[in-house]
Amino acid sequence: MNAGRSVLPFPCAPTSAGRRALRKDLLSALRVFSGSPVVVDLSGCPTLNHEDIDLLLECIAQVAGRDTQLLVVAGTRGNRVLLEVTRISSLAPVFNSVKEALAYPQNAAEIDTEDQRANQSQAVGSA
Amino acid sequence: MEMGAVVMVPEGQDLTTVHEAHFDAPAAFENTQPHYSSRMPILGNDVLQSWMERVRKLGVKSLWLASGPRDGTVVRSELARLARSGVERLLVIKLKSYAEMDLADLLRFHCQKRNPVTEAHDARGQLGVSLLDRLALRAIEEKQEFSCDSTEQKRPAYKFNGYAKRIFSASERQELVGDALTGACAMRPLGTEIREHLWVGKGASLADSVRLVGPAYIGARTTVRSGVTIGPFVSVEHDCVVDCGTTVERSTVLPYTYLAPGLLIRQGLVDGEYLENLEWGTVVDMQPAGLGSRIQRSEARKPAFKEVPGDGFPRADVFPLQFAPSSSAAQPWLQVRL
Repeated sequence: MNAGRSVLPFPCAPTSAGRRALRKDLLSALRVFSGSPVVVDLSGCPTLNHEDIDLLLECIAQVAGRDTQLLVVAGTRGNRVLLEVTRISSLAPVFNSVKEALAYPQNAAEIDTEDQRANQSQAVGSA
Repeated sequence: MEMGAVVMVPEGQDLTTVHEAHFDAPAAFENTQPHYSSRMPILGNDVLQSWMERVRKLGVKSLWLASGPRDGTVVRSELARLARSGVERLLVIKLKSYAEMDLADLLRFHCQKRNPVTEAHDARGQLGVSLLDRLALRAIEEKQEFSCDSTEQKRPAYKFNGYAKRIFSASERQELVGDALTGACAMRPLGTEIREHLWVGKGASLADSVRLVGPAYIGARTTVRSGVTIGPFVSVEHDCVVDCGTTVERSTVLPYTYLAPGLLIRQGLVDGEYLENLEWGTVVDMQPAGLGSRIQRSEARKPAFKEVPGDGFPRADVFPLQFAPSSSAAQPWLQVRL
């Protein structure tokens, strides 16, 4: 956990009952969060099946239109490839590790600030 | 001097039929390089056929197709048998590269240097093409196996400066696709050029809304459904199905592959359910996620080559030349008329 950011492990239970319970927990947790980014961590899943892809899309749909950003930790290169193939990586930022994901909002904020500064200086220059 | 030729196809691949074998899937799908079949078509072309054509131009009337270990070692007993049957000079081609080599020039070099063995190299090393004289064939009887390692034996190598690519490597294979599509090498896509740098094979079916970005190739009998984008630098080989809305860029899709709707295949090599990312070398199984699969063939294809009836050489069905006992795929050698 990082200030205001939550990490939710992606459910990779081997049984469908266990998966259903974890899926419910994950979606409920996503409903609660507001305002701060939420990290969904796939590190525990060595590979993704069609149910995993469905659930990830459901998670993205859950936060869509709200002020919550979903960040995905692929965990493995194989998962990263599958996230690109399914175009999920174009819907949510994908990272290799939780550490990278937790750093992302800070970096993004810094980039935004730098962009704003650059825009301001350009505006001043042109004036 | 009677000259013979042997083309070594890596074991586990069917000698008799074109484009039948698939790549060996790695046990784990993470960071493991798969071994692609060298019999897989490249823009509809068969690399074996291109080597056979070069051998034919050399004036050799028939060649032997043999299967051997992937490292290219040739079992000495088989070579010795060829020598005993009257072959005095033997051209051995290991099917691991596509090279636009003038074999007559290799032969001239071999004769001038009077080496028992001449191995062709390019800047990256061995190309898997070598010439052996009777002396070498006799000499290897002393050893267990024949290996064309010129560094070990300190033989002067034939330096090939023309176009060559290793076809086992997915990234080099993709480079070959790009070069063939843009005319940077002699290989040409097998199909009709419907627009500049856009080729379509016989019986391919393309929906009206398909977007083709050249250079690209769509193989025979492949179906491309609505909203698909193909290209640039793409080869979708024969008998594939690319489902609605999928985009394929800078990639190769090998025969009998089904790609699910809405995918983005970028810098990849897809063989049935397996996708290798060319940037990272990562191989993933797409089937559990329902993203890709192997299309079952309706019926087995007929063999592409006809065996030559007995004319001095042992026939495969009468006197089968078997592979080393360690070989898992024991197939007889096949003689093919050129």
